[in-house]
Amino acid sequence: MDRRITEFVRGLRAAGVRVSVAEATEAAEAARAVGLADREAFRRALSASTVKARDDQAAFEALFPLYFGSGGPPLQDALEDLEPEDRDRVRAALEALSGRLQRLLDWLTSGQGPSREELEAMARRAGMDRTQNPRQALWITRRMLQELGFGQLEKLLAELRARLEAAGMSEAAIEGLMGVVRANREALAEQIGQQVGLDLARKRAEAQASRLTGDGDLMDRDLQDLGPLEVEQLRLEVKRLVARLRSRAALRQKRSKAGRVDPRRTLRANLRYGGVPIEIQHRRHKLKPRLTLICDVSTSMRPVAEFMLRLIYELSDQVAQARSFAFNADLEEISPAMAGRKAAEAVAEVLYAIPPGYYATDLGTSLDTFERDFREAVDRRTTVIVLGDGRNNHNDPRVDLLAGLRGRARRLVWLNPEGPERWGTGDSDMHRYAPHCDAVYPVGNLAQLAVAVDRLLAER
Amino acid sequence: MSQPFASIPDTRQRLSASAYIASEEIGTIVFLAEQLGKPLLAEGPAGVGKTELAKAWAAATGRPLIRLQCYEGLDESKALYEWEYAKQMLYTQLLRDSLRTTLDGAASLAEAAARLAAEDEVFFSESFLLPRPLLAALTSEEPALLLIDEIDRADVEFEAFLLEILSDFQVSIPELGTVAARHRPVVLLTSNDTRELSEALKRRCLYLYVDYPDLEAEVEILRLRVPGIRPALAEEAVIFVQQLRELDLRKVPSISETLDWARALMALNAESIDPDTLQRTLGVLLKYESDLARAYRMMGRLPGRGERWEGGRGPANN
Repeated sequence: MDRRITEFVRGLRAAGVRVSVAEATEAAEAARAVGLADREAFRRALSASTVKARDDQAAFEALFPLYFGSGGPPLQDALEDLEPEDRDRVRAALEALSGRLQRLLDWLTSGQGPSREELEAMARRAGMDRTQNPRQALWITRRMLQELGFGQLEKLLAELRARLEAAGMSEAAIEGLMGVVRANREALAEQIGQQVGLDLARKRAEAQASRLTGDGDLMDRDLQDLGPLEVEQLRLEVKRLVARLRSRAALRQKRSKAGRVDPRRTLRANLRYGGVPIEIQHRRHKLKPRLTLICDVSTSMRPVAEFMLRLIYELSDQVAQARSFAFNADLEEISPAMAGRKAAEAVAEVLYAIPPGYYATDLGTSLDTFERDFREAVDRRTTVIVLGDGRNNHNDPRVDLLAGLRGRARRLVWLNPEGPERWGTGDSDMHRYAPHCDAVYPVGNLAQLAVAVDRLLAER
Repeated sequence: MSQPFASIPDTRQRLSASAYIASEEIGTIVFLAEQLGKPLLAEGPAGVGKTELAKAWAAATGRPLIRLQCYEGLDESKALYEWEYAKQMLYTQLLRDSLRTTLDGAASLAEAAARLAAEDEVFFSESFLLPRPLLAALTSEEPALLLIDEIDRADVEFEAFLLEILSDFQVSIPELGTVAARHRPVVLLTSNDTRELSEALKRRCLYLYVDYPDLEAEVEILRLRVPGIRPALAEEAVIFVQQLRELDLRKVPSISETLDWARALMALNAESIDPDTLQRTLGVLLKYESDLARAYRMMGRLPGRGERWEGGRGPANN
């Protein structure tokens, strides 16, 4: 059983669930503690020791039956309960069917299912080698059943029944026989389905184990050319990333607390020891940054903006205040739309609700609107973050407004998915904006974005 | 004396004897946590009875319950131990005379300091140590149940600090040395899932997701906790609450709120749940104006402007 569990854990890992070696050992211990007799308890024991995030539960539920069966009934011997003369009649009738679907009928009546080799050969013929996509399991199963002749079976059984009736077998005995054969048919179909699913899952596990760095790749992929499936995967990755960034930020806060002594609070705290300074109190820095984000949400920038906003809002406990604005042709504030909800989840929804537009980006006008309507969003404690590629469709860049913004803010940071080698090419005004920024960070992929956010949280 | 659970059915039966209805799942995992000596991390929405589970578990096994409530800013001195400064000060004052004898005849200041240093373990001994929940659980005379409540509220660095205790069940106190657990406590951590916990912490625990119970289970809880409620009323109330949970509410009613509401219904001698009774008691279940409006809409009966429900503006809960 331990080997089975190890295989199962490998399957889980391939499906993206992180299971440590210690957890795998624990799963085996847990399985021993509850025993195998109660299937449900066994399943729960494995689940509790391997799956620690709710999102991963689905993968577990999908894989479990593949490795440990769904408890479907085994095939039964259909001839066992018959009278000896009836048994002879059945054999004669089967022979009279002159070998049609003989193999299948043999399995269904004798209760001896196909061997593993037979199944594998059939699976190969059904196209198993050409895929490792679990979604094809159903299709392959159907082809295998077809090859076995499940389609003609009903007709053949009717014929068998007629022959048995003609041979003088009693109605009740025939009913009994047919009942068992039908049950065997269901069980066989299920067995085949399970076998196919298991093989596919294994193949996939092996294929993924050979390229271990799946997640890392995606982190380094350009955000602007991700497929929808990959975006979905990255969204899950953001959660882990956030946990990491948060602990880094929190540790920084903690360390910096051990900085300057706060005499007033120290005196106050030590009044109870007669003024003898025993507990030293330190000044708490207001380390958490106040952020104002101005995000370009033109079609090409949306994925970058989405992940940026997700990171910031998931990290909202490390940020004193965050206001966000989205601009395309003009600018609007989007933070109220996200308030009160699980902000990180609202991000995508809010962003994609803004009408898209090609060749409509106008940062100049947007900055103007910002200056006019949202002046109060920037004071000397705020860090202003502009997220955009600086491509302005040959509109007036209004560099003066950006310079003014920097004068009023504590810092102005620009995040740009394009590297410096492309600034100034085509309609890019980035080379004009760049001198007025305190820093420009590249944010082409999620890894770079994470570094940029980390720096934003680190600055003081 | 503590009596560990013998089997899964035994676990469920004894938990229910302590007035906690444990599902198959909860029973299995609690049993496992005890068998394997692993901490158990219970995650789930607020008010589904995670803390109650700890109480029932402690009662059913006869362990003393030691509770550590987490909050932002919780640190080691609040969770683990603290030196009792005031007592140390007092003793130094009272022992001034004997200290003088010790220091008498010292040739130099350095020698006096050395003699004093030789005696300092008097002041850093266990009698001046103020054990906080974590240390109390390790040094408890009988095996204890340590409840670390709402760990998601504590800071991330506190989580890291817990790791050491949860894997080795020992702590080091610089002045005293390492303190190992006298008995290994059973540990239950709860989290309301307001933030992702670190993977390192999750790895060390068994994981249990506690969700709202199904209809029968909640009716059962209601009957157990609100004695004397008519079965029909209990069922009607639970059906209503469970319908509310399916709405998109800011604050979904928890089990404890179902219980409070049932008690309110009892107090009003309600025969059944009619619109009028609802009007008067819905504030027990829903704490936001917008939630109340939604609930009324669900009931297909939006009160007119004149009779708008006014009592529901409770204090913001989170």
